[in-house]
Amino acid sequence: MDFSELLIQTLINGILIGGLYAVMMLGFSVIWGVMGVINLAHGDFLMVGAYMTWVLNKQYGWEPFLALLLVMPAMYLLGWLTQKILINRIIERPHLVALLVTYGLGIAMANTVKLIYTADPRITTTRFSGFWQYGEIVLPITKTLVLVAALIIMVGLFLLLRNTNLGKSIRAAAQNKEAARMVGIEIDRVYAITFGICLALTGAAGMMLSPLGSITPYMGAAWTLKAFAITAMAGLGNIPGALLGGMLLGLVENLLATFVPTVGSHIGITSSFALLVIVLVARPQGLFGGLRAPQEIR
Amino acid sequence: MTGQTTASGQENGRPLLQGIGVTKLYGGLAALNRVDFDVYPGEIVGLIGPNGSGKTTLFDCLSRVQDLDGGQVFFKGEEISKKKPYQVAHMGLSRTFQVFRVYRKLTALENMLLSRQWREVTLIEKLTPTPPKAVERARHLLEFLTLTHLVDEQAGNLSGGQQRLLEIGMALMPDPDIILLDEAASGINPVLINTITDRIRQLSREQGKTFLLIEHNMEFIGDLCSRVFVLNFGEKLAEGTPEEVVENEDVIAAYFGT
Amino acid sequence: MVNKIIAAVQSVIFNRRFLIGVIILLLLMPSLFYAAEWCKELESTTSPLQQSFCEYLIEERPVNGAVLLSFTQMFILIILASNWNLTGGFSGYIDFGHAVFFGLGAFGTALLMGSSRWEEWPAFLSGWNFWTAMAGGGVVAAVFAILIGAATLRLKGPYFSIAMLGTLVAMREFVRVNSNISGGGLGLSLPVILNRPFFFYVSLIMMVLVVSLIRWLRTTEFGATLIAIREDEVGAEMRGINTTLHKITAFTIAAALTGMVGGMWAYQNTFIDVNIAFNQNRTIDMVMMTMLGGIGTVAGPVIGSAVIYWLRDVVWANFLLYHQIFEGILLIIIVLFVPEGIMGIFKKEDSGTSLFGVIRGWGRKSARQGSPQGSPTE
Repeated sequence: MDFSELLIQTLINGILIGGLYAVMMLGFSVIWGVMGVINLAHGDFLMVGAYMTWVLNKQYGWEPFLALLLVMPAMYLLGWLTQKILINRIIERPHLVALLVTYGLGIAMANTVKLIYTADPRITTTRFSGFWQYGEIVLPITKTLVLVAALIIMVGLFLLLRNTNLGKSIRAAAQNKEAARMVGIEIDRVYAITFGICLALTGAAGMMLSPLGSITPYMGAAWTLKAFAITAMAGLGNIPGALLGGMLLGLVENLLATFVPTVGSHIGITSSFALLVIVLVARPQGLFGGLRAPQEIR
Repeated sequence: MTGQTTASGQENGRPLLQGIGVTKLYGGLAALNRVDFDVYPGEIVGLIGPNGSGKTTLFDCLSRVQDLDGGQVFFKGEEISKKKPYQVAHMGLSRTFQVFRVYRKLTALENMLLSRQWREVTLIEKLTPTPPKAVERARHLLEFLTLTHLVDEQAGNLSGGQQRLLEIGMALMPDPDIILLDEAASGINPVLINTITDRIRQLSREQGKTFLLIEHNMEFIGDLCSRVFVLNFGEKLAEGTPEEVVENEDVIAAYFGT
Repeated sequence: MVNKIIAAVQSVIFNRRFLIGVIILLLLMPSLFYAAEWCKELESTTSPLQQSFCEYLIEERPVNGAVLLSFTQMFILIILASNWNLTGGFSGYIDFGHAVFFGLGAFGTALLMGSSRWEEWPAFLSGWNFWTAMAGGGVVAAVFAILIGAATLRLKGPYFSIAMLGTLVAMREFVRVNSNISGGGLGLSLPVILNRPFFFYVSLIMMVLVVSLIRWLRTTEFGATLIAIREDEVGAEMRGINTTLHKITAFTIAAALTGMVGGMWAYQNTFIDVNIAFNQNRTIDMVMMTMLGGIGTVAGPVIGSAVIYWLRDVVWANFLLYHQIFEGILLIIIVLFVPEGIMGIFKKEDSGTSLFGVIRGWGRKSARQGSPQGSPTE
């Protein structure tokens, strides 16, 4: 494979994974943008989605992509409940409270899953595997399908936020809680629904992860950090930005993995972290001018 | 009783604090737009203007809590717009805040002692017991501000007016050359306002301290200031003695609308 | 009624004599261990007193190797929580990645003691004795702290926390990838030493020194400045305090101490690899214990660690697999309902105030004369 083919392959890999990254982090960034809560359990929810898929796949023989139909609603419900029971109590408190509470929640979830399913790495099998080949360049089918699914989901979210009444309520609540309340929007209901939607997104991302690599109960933290890194680039609740940011990260990771030979896949987290630190240090006053500066949720 | 200068304060030589073309942008909006001002040593100068005219923003820029987007600031002849807040404090500039900020969980005395950082108390010195002189000075200042009985009280437990006084004390602690007071008289009962007025006058007269005051209370301004600047929508609207400014048509229009 | 009990407990455990007594007892503990050893070698022709004493020791084994190990672990937890509190409680910067310094210290010490699997590891950096190697581990952690602190301490609240979490995870992977350093999947082995009393003493003395150091720091103006930074960083900076310098100093001290503990722990463990040296759970331990005890106080981390350790050993020992789930939930409960921790129950004032309100009875006379230490409101 000559250099240009290698480069193209790397770029393709980066772009493909970018879609997954985007869906993965939207759940995190929308919660932050709408409710001002930084959810450190995000990666653990991702893990739960992945395990849900795995159970459906291995114990009930479901095709993972089909399992989306069950995982997303289930995660929605989980999110809705979590918000009502727990997150509601931390919304208007200082960020530290949200960090610690979600951190504890994540730990509890990760260890619960470990208890039930052990720490052995798991993986799901999908019938959409294999790859298409064009000369020396391969297009992995699973990853392509993942990207397609991700795009569909993101378009759906975009339309939801922009065109539906619910979406408008969410955006109103994000911009100004009090004003929204005065106009008759039930903030609590909106928050619960939003959290549910975000977890559904995250669950979908978990499903998408499950056939691509091994999943373990403790995988969450690395993904939370990745979500944070992309959010730093994309802005809170910014969907097109998420896609671009996700792809950027994917490209960087793949380029490094291909052209810096001594390193394995573990470089992934280091590069996203490095990106994160660079972004944060370059703008120490906070992302995009303020923590709870809910940019337009487009 | 006003300060000792003419309306333009020229007689005192070089300005202690001077801003030239100070500009500060928030998003697309100019919170400050090419503001020029100067304060001469020993003066008590007022800074007034309707709400949102940029007064506190100016203070933020001067004390380096915010960066300038344009223009320059000179303090004692040195350009300070790139310095860190603590460096400017070391040079001799103190300020208070509109919403008073004291260290609520520490006592009044501790608050005072932690504010004496002027001549760069080094890290090593901080590991040794506090020099009694500093403690004495802190107590003395607290007495000066009628807060003696609250020396060991947690700052968060003080009343609003007392916290305001404490903040002024903290600003005075490092023996600064210029003190920026942001609405020192707001939200305080008249008795305390008189105390503050007296003290400011005393400090100006006896120690030649320079003051720049943001105020809404025109009586306060009239009592103390020899000169006043007026800001409106981030721009300097007028400058002059309190009497001149109060009768200035533009100023009246700004406050009450045309 | 409850208040009376609380006050009584408070006056006991914060009493200087009581604490010194406890320390002396702890210092004497290993003697029972040695006595048991001595008993085993005893001839049968000894006095009945000695015999029954030895029977008791051998039968009941009140202080055997496991007990010493257990206490050692607790001392280590106390030190770690106290260190974390220096940055998290006093300065107000909640560090979710503090365990990275532990790992750096562990690896530093191991490598300096000669565990490197890399042929080209420089000889002068090998074969050090334990003490210098432990100090070396601390230095490694401190140097890294200065570097990373300069970057991350500029960030506000949650950004700092997450950046440090990222640091931990990234460092773990970075070290893992560099198998020259990390030993890859095999990890690193340290010289084997099985001497429980040794580690017991080392950790006990370290704990006493560290807690004393932190207590002392709290009484200095430096400590008060950290609290001022926590309360109002912008105001402090504006009043002439070089906040960056202070923050980095506290951060580095905490890191160095944690690094040294990591080194000691590595030696005791005789084996480390990236997963156990850079274990995320250690951070949650530190956070939770400090919060349970009372963040920002001197005694908080000590109390919190002791309580959690007791809980683990006694209560949750039967539910070994569940303890981390419990602790995650415990953290949530503490943060939501008892944010001041146990110290908050003891004291009338909030955590972190005029310090001598924290530990009554420690006060020096000068405290009441208005040094920055202030005086308790009595």
